[in-house]
Amino acid sequence: MREHEGAGAPPMHVVLVGFGPVGARFVEELLDAVRSGVVRLTVLGAEAHDPYNRVLLAEYAVGRAERERLDLLDTAAAVRAGVDVRLGEIAAAIDRERQEVRLASGGSVRYDRLVLATGARANVPTLVGLEGARRERGAAPDRGRVTGAGSADTGGGPDISRGAAAAAVLDSGRSPLPPGVVVLRDLADAEVVRSAIHDSRRVVVLGAGVLGMELALAVAEQGAEVVVVHHGDIPMARNLDRGGGRLLSRAARSAGVAVVAHARAETLLLRDGRKGERRFDALGCADGKVIPGDLLVLSCGVGARTELAEGAGLAVAAGILVDEELRSWTDPDVFAIGDCAQVADPAAGADGVRSGVIRMPGAPSGLIGPGWRQADWLARTFASEATALERPPLLPPERPAVVMLKAEGVDVVSGGDISAELWDEEPAGHADSCRREITQWADPARGSYLKLITRGGVVEGFVSVGLARAGAELTLLFERGSEVPSDRSVLLRLDAAGEPVTASDPLAPDATVCWCNGVSVQSVVDAGAAGDGSVACVSAATRAGTGCGGCKGRIAEILASAALVAARPLAAPFAG
Amino acid sequence: MPADTHCPYCALQCAMTLTPEPITRPGSASVAGRDFPTNRGGLCKKGWTSVELLDSPERITRPLVRQGDGTFAEVSWPDALDLVATTVASSRARFGADSVAVFGGGGLTNEKAYQLGKFARLALGTSRIDYNGRFCMSSAAAAGNRAFGIDRGLPFPVEDLDQADTILLLGSNVAATMPPFIGHLAGARERGGLVVVDPRRSATAKLTDDGAGIHLQAAPGSDLVLLLGLTHIVFAKGLADLDYLASRTTGADALRRSTNAWWPERVQARTGVPAGQLRAVARRLARGRGSYILTGRGVEQHVDGTDTATAAINLALVLGLVGRRGSGYGTMTGQGNGQGGREHGQKCDQLPGYRKISDPDAREHVARVWGVDPSVIPGPGLPAVELLNELGELGGVRCLLVHGSNVVVSAPDVEHVRRGLATLDLLVVCDFFFSETAALADVVLPVTQWAEEEGTMTSLEGRVLRRRRALEAPAEVRSELWILQELARRLGAPGEYSSDPAVVFDELARASAGGLADYSGLSHELLDTGIAAYWPFAPGSEGTPRLFLDRFAHPDGLARIVDVAPAPSEEAPQQGGVLTLITGRLLEHYQSGAQTRRVPELARAQPEARVQIHPATAAGLGIVDGEVVELSNVRGTVRCRAELTADIRHDTVFLPFHFAGVECANILTERATDPVSGMPEFKRTRVRLVASERVVADA
Repeated sequence: MREHEGAGAPPMHVVLVGFGPVGARFVEELLDAVRSGVVRLTVLGAEAHDPYNRVLLAEYAVGRAERERLDLLDTAAAVRAGVDVRLGEIAAAIDRERQEVRLASGGSVRYDRLVLATGARANVPTLVGLEGARRERGAAPDRGRVTGAGSADTGGGPDISRGAAAAAVLDSGRSPLPPGVVVLRDLADAEVVRSAIHDSRRVVVLGAGVLGMELALAVAEQGAEVVVVHHGDIPMARNLDRGGGRLLSRAARSAGVAVVAHARAETLLLRDGRKGERRFDALGCADGKVIPGDLLVLSCGVGARTELAEGAGLAVAAGILVDEELRSWTDPDVFAIGDCAQVADPAAGADGVRSGVIRMPGAPSGLIGPGWRQADWLARTFASEATALERPPLLPPERPAVVMLKAEGVDVVSGGDISAELWDEEPAGHADSCRREITQWADPARGSYLKLITRGGVVEGFVSVGLARAGAELTLLFERGSEVPSDRSVLLRLDAAGEPVTASDPLAPDATVCWCNGVSVQSVVDAGAAGDGSVACVSAATRAGTGCGGCKGRIAEILASAALVAARPLAAPFAG
Repeated sequence: MPADTHCPYCALQCAMTLTPEPITRPGSASVAGRDFPTNRGGLCKKGWTSVELLDSPERITRPLVRQGDGTFAEVSWPDALDLVATTVASSRARFGADSVAVFGGGGLTNEKAYQLGKFARLALGTSRIDYNGRFCMSSAAAAGNRAFGIDRGLPFPVEDLDQADTILLLGSNVAATMPPFIGHLAGARERGGLVVVDPRRSATAKLTDDGAGIHLQAAPGSDLVLLLGLTHIVFAKGLADLDYLASRTTGADALRRSTNAWWPERVQARTGVPAGQLRAVARRLARGRGSYILTGRGVEQHVDGTDTATAAINLALVLGLVGRRGSGYGTMTGQGNGQGGREHGQKCDQLPGYRKISDPDAREHVARVWGVDPSVIPGPGLPAVELLNELGELGGVRCLLVHGSNVVVSAPDVEHVRRGLATLDLLVVCDFFFSETAALADVVLPVTQWAEEEGTMTSLEGRVLRRRRALEAPAEVRSELWILQELARRLGAPGEYSSDPAVVFDELARASAGGLADYSGLSHELLDTGIAAYWPFAPGSEGTPRLFLDRFAHPDGLARIVDVAPAPSEEAPQQGGVLTLITGRLLEHYQSGAQTRRVPELARAQPEARVQIHPATAAGLGIVDGEVVELSNVRGTVRCRAELTADIRHDTVFLPFHFAGVECANILTERATDPVSGMPEFKRTRVRLVASERVVADA
């Protein structure tokens, strides 16, 4: 890699392509270096908006969150710090020879370092009626179309700005999605969903991944009709096992979400809209089922936006291939972070790339955490290079992801590899101390389910449904790589209805009555017996009740029940 | 004659009446609770037994000087004072004024704390003065000053809490540390609104049982993230008080943006607290305005303690709670005079009246009161941990005077402190008992106890209280004011050093005039009329029970919302007996235990340190209840008994910090400090736990 010159050299010019949540974090972390003049930063964002938090887009789309809640970076402050922010600007190509990014609007920007944070786009499934809307892999951003008029009247939504149209063009195929069909990836999509829900229409969600389920639950919570359509037996099949998935289905249904399982969507049925447009009417399935609705939200996963990298001849697999320093395998001055990046060891992957069969770990997770960590690290690294300071230590490899369903009242969380079943035998070869152990709890009637896979006491995978505290605790332990309690039932008891965990008898002799003076039940009883049995005599003898005074009522109760016990032998002959 | 005074221990300063018992118990007194808004006549076990200290056979009653053979010999006061004065004077002449240091305490009266700061700056000419409050209130103080421009623990009277609808209490076990306080939680409990955040189901957390509230059992050190998460929900659910934010604060927009990144599920992953509980608490806090947020040492005693306290303040500001009647934010001051002790010049960067020592106007004002040229007042010194690090270092501290503090038990990494003390040319300890630090001293000077002296204390609510003498001290015991007067005379110090507390208070009042903590309208005489004197108290005013009703103390009158962020999560895995150690207090003991371990009734109830371990964790390590275990890390090893309880998180152990020797919790804590406040990291220490027998077997 070309070392950046030290003091006296012109500032390192960093160009960032992509201004989503990961790009925004990168800018934020680099602001000090920009302010101090050691780094020049140019940002190209396809959308016209300031960056926003896509993680919470579904909540915005259903009207549960206001737009301000999605704000991340104070772009005006970044501009004041000296960042050249260009919104609604699409990078059309990279000329690596000249170290330039060509802009769709004409012109170009030179770079010393290029950071790609282009993110991912929603997959458009293979459905009859959607052929034209599917994007061909590798298709380059098209200048002609970008400058054309807004291409996507997505049905009843508000006017879409030039920038949003430009952004939409980034992801659309030869023809736009028909009116009434959306993916939920950007603000413009969210606006469409928002107005559909506002009009209390029936929403069909195709795909029951975590995003599809979150959206469906949120729609139901807002009182609109919603149906989730998915193939296979259970929702969130990538993250849940059968037990967890079944319970989620049940919880979703009782939350008002209709769930259609084992459905293979095949056809998009259209009808004439008010303005004469052909718009979504129903989803046709392979088994002949027809699922009608006013809005179809496609929630069928995402794919990295890699076309810019591919066009520039950079190595690409599921994402743009970068090494552990987030640097492109192909070009030492190009970096990738977030959902478009695939972190893999070039040595291990070289064979795969040569043979054209590229299958390797490190594919983007679609979660925000790793992207933010990468953005932080890369910004700090650039800043340290520009100021000749010590580089931050390498990022540790990402742990397997934890997926948490963001929905109120439905607690679903899973992490790691959950494929092992309760009685599965492991191939021999593991020492006893690190043998895989599987623990399972299921109480479908009360909606709780837990599966825990550990090795040497450390969690390898888990599913938790309907157990809020156990799920939270396992998330924490899994993310830290810490041991679970040897008695696994401790986890279950966290959610026991009748806290305290160890039910203690408030009248047990050693139970504390008076906190201020540390007086036990027994001491109160003894003092009562030794004196006249009044609260006052107990207070005088033990100081119970002489602090905050909050226990005087309990002292009276204890004395009363002690008096009853004392009286009982006399009554016994008549009771017989 | 009975004397109306206040308890010698914690910052609640429960009112008590001491009656001398010359016939039945000469040299001691009987104690009775006295009706007062804070304690309403009640006392805890510590208060009821406090008089045991007065005629304790362990009391030091004559000055002691260490001999060549290491033993102590009783000497006369003139001999002891001459020795101290000559040694520090020669150290100053040979090694510079900063070779002599002073370490104060949050239990000293306002008069002593003030005089100690003045003595250090003028008589010793040293900048090296700090105190044990650095280990206690420094983070909350820094956060309060940063946000509000002023630091008064509770900016409202304690009894305001009685009307609360909701109280969010983070990192404070008041049921054990200041039990009579829990009477003020009764109202919120009746309304189901007590929220306690603690890794333990502490006595305080149990007050949430039976529908009285909710206990959030967050992982140690995760309070900052938890508070960001609550703030996120408040913004997200439209519960923020936007009018208040616009009219009374600055910085809300940056906070909103940064907390946008802390949605509940992300917070759950870092804290172990379910998203549903977070939402419930946020909604509850925002319900009406009768909400209070209170923090304690569990939140503040961290390397990011200032930022964590700031996050709590931010949440209170976003909800519009601060500076309004019936709601607010406060920090629970710990030591008896932890509030007054941090206002009048014991801190390394401070002059009386909570003035900054680096502020030319402040120096000018105080120099005028002291009758000296401002240039003779040294500049800022070093906060406690750095000061202790300097002991015996080249160009560092060679002589140390310790007042009201037991540093070899209470400072972090005590073995390091002990090694530092051993290198000193002179260690002088003023105490009434032979504390673990006194045992290492060259000179030990016996001083008066609370019942034998006059003075003032400032309670956790910023109310200035009178401490009154009930009986005479033993013949050869002296007040610290007298000792400082004698030493100042021997050192030829500029300025006056009265030994009369009322006179010293009057000088303190003048020195504080116009400062943030302004006592200038107060005197012992006025306080003796029984007025409720909340500072600031300018002449002719009626004091300030409630701060911030009109404005905050920054020049523009606005509160500062300071955007804070947690450090990247780099928690190492906890496996094979590696656990997180948290420390804290027991009902029966106070601070380093130098006093309470000498009260027979308290010592009988809690004779030794016991480490709390979750039964499942103990089972995995083969540890049974009552067994001796070892907790170790690179700094050392603690040996004590195990107490198994399901009230603690399974990945956490709790050790009280009142004990010394091999049971001393601070053998294990580290010297890392908060960059803003200088607070050490006391409550996120990695330790390895093993059964003690197993150590023997392995060896």
